[in-house]
Amino acid sequence: MTVTAYRSHVEVRRAAFGRLVRAEWTKFATVPRWMITVTAAILLSVLLSGLVAAGAGENTSNDGGGPPVSADPLQPFQDRGHFVSQRRSGDVDVITRVDSQTGGGDWAKAGLMIRGGSETGAPYAAIVVTPGHGVVLRSGTDVDIAGSDGAAPTWLRLTRSGDKVTALESADGVSWTGVGTVELGGLGDDVLAGLFVAAPDEVVVTRQFGTEAISGNTAYTTATFDNVTLTGGATSDWTEREHPSGPAVQDDTTGFTVAGGVYTVTGSGDLGPDLFSPDSTRMVLNTVLVGLCATIALAVLFITSEYRRGMIRTTFLVSPSRGRVLLAKATVIGGVGFAAGLLSALGSLLAAKAMPGGLPLPDLFAWPVVRATLGSGVLVAAAAVFALALGSLIRRSAVAIAVALLALLVPQVAASGLPLDVANWMERLSPAAGFAVQQTVPRYDVAIGPEAGIAVLCAYAAIATGFALWSLKRRDA
Amino acid sequence: MRVMRSEWTKLRTLSSTGWLLAGAVLATIAVSVTGVLSVDTSHCPTPAECFEDTVRLSLGGIRFGQVVVVILAVLAVSGEYATGTIRATLTANPRRLTVLAGKAAVLAATVAAAGVLGVLGSLLAGRLILPGNGFSETNGYAPLSLTDGPTLRAATGSVLYLVLIALLALGFALIIRDTAGTITTVFALLFVAPVVGLLVTDPEWREKLDQLTPMTAGLSVQSTIGLDTMPIGPWPGLGVLAAYAAAALLAGAVLFARRDQ
Repeated sequence: MTVTAYRSHVEVRRAAFGRLVRAEWTKFATVPRWMITVTAAILLSVLLSGLVAAGAGENTSNDGGGPPVSADPLQPFQDRGHFVSQRRSGDVDVITRVDSQTGGGDWAKAGLMIRGGSETGAPYAAIVVTPGHGVVLRSGTDVDIAGSDGAAPTWLRLTRSGDKVTALESADGVSWTGVGTVELGGLGDDVLAGLFVAAPDEVVVTRQFGTEAISGNTAYTTATFDNVTLTGGATSDWTEREHPSGPAVQDDTTGFTVAGGVYTVTGSGDLGPDLFSPDSTRMVLNTVLVGLCATIALAVLFITSEYRRGMIRTTFLVSPSRGRVLLAKATVIGGVGFAAGLLSALGSLLAAKAMPGGLPLPDLFAWPVVRATLGSGVLVAAAAVFALALGSLIRRSAVAIAVALLALLVPQVAASGLPLDVANWMERLSPAAGFAVQQTVPRYDVAIGPEAGIAVLCAYAAIATGFALWSLKRRDA
Repeated sequence: MRVMRSEWTKLRTLSSTGWLLAGAVLATIAVSVTGVLSVDTSHCPTPAECFEDTVRLSLGGIRFGQVVVVILAVLAVSGEYATGTIRATLTANPRRLTVLAGKAAVLAATVAAAGVLGVLGSLLAGRLILPGNGFSETNGYAPLSLTDGPTLRAATGSVLYLVLIALLALGFALIIRDTAGTITTVFALLFVAPVVGLLVTDPEWREKLDQLTPMTAGLSVQSTIGLDTMPIGPWPGLGVLAAYAAAALLAGAVLFARRDQ
């Protein structure tokens, strides 16, 4: 009699990844207190944004000299400096030789400007020479054309015909080279044309009383101009438009003098990007941290509670390829994190916007704001995956949660009082770099760009997941 | 006394306690040393005009050490709930408030002992390292010494700070009874509250918030100079944290006495 060994007729088949994800989602969604926690965290962050935005009040206005400088809060631009001009109608040609330039640093500007009016944000074109960066033509908030590398003394020229303004430079005042032509929309018949100086604030890091602060100290520049000729239209008196960065030049060192054909102009404030403008979107999105903390805790529990209850053995019995189980868990918790981050970011921005008299917030559909909102989702998702991997590696909820939270809050925990460059490196190298994705405005204190920052956090999540996969296959469950 | 002994035995015989206590001491000292090493006078107008609070700087690791203290305190309660030991504890001694008092006393004493080590180590590191970074006597910075009144206040205050953080976490653990939930809540209260407060730009609101944020207010006890420019004084600041801890403990005690275990 022959005995045939029993063979199961059930087909051997690996569970499809989609089914694993569904199984893990069921495990997550059927724990009522987890779903309540996610919802409560989102609501709390929205509530906090609204409350605090209402309390932020009017104190966010620019307190430097002169009016705030650009209509678009995402492209903060300073339209400052000292402009000595005559009102001319029709086509204008203005020429000068910048004889000398002192003070104000590498980016101190001395040259010519034509602008539609004296108000901030009026259309303008300016050609200037700088001590360190050659000749530059600027117009609006985005035109920035480089000319030759030379410094003062040099000849500069602006000619207007209709809406077109052409900028030229010359070494001798005889042969002219064009730097560029810009078209200024909305230029009336009358324009202001004349001499212009500007200097960016000097950025100084000062350490006092245990903290380091970056401040922009007003820098003054003085330039002398000769061979000034203004042709076209009727002559008028010289008028001054002074929008200094700090206090205006004092009376005893008058900002504008003419003696024997030599014009001396002193001024401060810059014509260019304003790096000291507040990033109100980022401040509102700070409250996403609440949702982040809750998601991190849930991500850790998502795996550690399986170990504590012994559920993990059932899980691995049903689907023995452990790596795929972890990846399915990562997919689920990443999705939950993305939704939580996105919803709390959107809700926070809407709540802050709805508050009367609150922060001035930019258009929600502008790309930097969209990037920050979507980025908040990616931020929470990546943090959740990172926390899940730590939970899988450490297996103890308390320690894993503490490590994950610490890694993301390290600038808040340890950087206080440290020198700025040390704090900046911490922000670049730790998982906390991910928060950079919430930046919407280029600022002086940016440690890392938005895309690079979120990439650092994603790299941490990927590396931690790699380690978790590696160790999961080697350890007993 | 017997309650304290039994609580001490429970705490002592957990292998995690030793690791966590050693971790608290080492984390405090290591972060303090890193901070002290990284700061010099190069960005000051002049070394003498830096007005560096060398004591506070040297005690910077407390911010980090408190993380471990929170874990220790939470596990002391939530661990009993997770394993069901709490029922045995209350069967052996049904007077719940006595049990709670014993637990709090043992935890406070243990954390205080670790805190003393961490604070002394940090101050010693500061005393040895700081003069080499420009904070020397010739520049007007006296070497750190516990015989100096404000330094002693900062040192004892930092130890008390850790004890209060432990009691705060203990209170929250009694309310929430779950390891993950408690740790996350306490961390959010300590570290997220100051960040969210950054949104407030109005100076008056900001000062009020700083006075009410447990970590910011509590750590003001570490300051030895420039006290008039701070939102809250050293002892009142620690008092704010003590109020938080008392409120959490009180709520925890009421719930502990009333609820089924």
